[in-house]
Amino acid sequence: MSTETAEPVSTDVLDGAVEEYPRDRQYVLVALFLGALTMIEIATYAQPKFAAWGWGDKAGLITVLMILMAVKFWTVAYFFMHLKFDKAILTRVFYAGLLLAVGVYVAILTMFNLWYPGHH
Amino acid sequence: MAETAIKEALVAEIGHADHDTNTGISNTKLAMWLFLASECLLFGGLITTYLLYKIPISTEQGPAPKQVYDIPFTSVSSFVLLMSSLTMVLAVSAIERGDHHRMRAWLAGTALLGSTFVAGQIYEFTAFKGEGMGFTTSRSSSAFYTLTGFHGVHVTVGIIMLVSLLLLSLRGKVPQHRAETVETVGLYWHFVDVVWIVIFAVVYLIP
Repeated sequence: MSTETAEPVSTDVLDGAVEEYPRDRQYVLVALFLGALTMIEIATYAQPKFAAWGWGDKAGLITVLMILMAVKFWTVAYFFMHLKFDKAILTRVFYAGLLLAVGVYVAILTMFNLWYPGHH
Repeated sequence: MAETAIKEALVAEIGHADHDTNTGISNTKLAMWLFLASECLLFGGLITTYLLYKIPISTEQGPAPKQVYDIPFTSVSSFVLLMSSLTMVLAVSAIERGDHHRMRAWLAGTALLGSTFVAGQIYEFTAFKGEGMGFTTSRSSSAFYTLTGFHGVHVTVGIIMLVSLLLLSLRGKVPQHRAETVETVGLYWHFVDVVWIVIFAVVYLIP
């Protein structure tokens, strides 16, 4: 029984893992990365005209926010939820549900003409 | 603790080892992932409804959600929930190493951060109501409160699970060979966090 947090967790004690779980330090680094992305998200609100996202009316802002959201989502699922280290079937199960949801609701939003101006 | 040792510990505790599956993954963990996949459809539906109804039919129906948002306040709440994912994964890591003391500390920290988020949401709802946007004010306000309220209920359920785990651990009922129980609760907690990542961007930040 080890209490050493600097060592990875062996797959021997993990159910369904194909890679050992990482050291705690890696989790902290991932959290710092997520914090930095959140800061950028907040910056888009504070400085909406900033060159990196102020282009194309609101298109730049929406694009940057969607990319940041997707990266944060994937990072949490990949590292904190251990999809990187567990068997691929779990990734397939989760992303099947996610893609089904995205497909169904994009179809509904399209049906209601959400993407066109003046639909309300 | 090797896999055979885990099985021996389970036999000693409950009379039989957990059943193996042909996926090599325990039923509990697989079931949680299937549940989370189905939750994507639930929150997808609620987010879609909000997007369709986010603009009130007329200004007579009271303020639109976008007019009452306090983005700096919500940003802090989002950051708190994001950091609770870190404390949760550290709790999982601690029990997998057999460190019960650290696991309890991280579980308590996660529950505290989650409670801070829920308290912030209650404050936010109260402030919005004070500004004239109640649940039945307009279809957009109903869609907003239903979406964020459902998420808040999920966080609250997560806090109850965390506190239950903490109490069970204090009574010695979460031994190292039961680390997967903590991991399964952790999966739920991280999912609640990723849902908020989407809500924060789509509902609050995207113009």
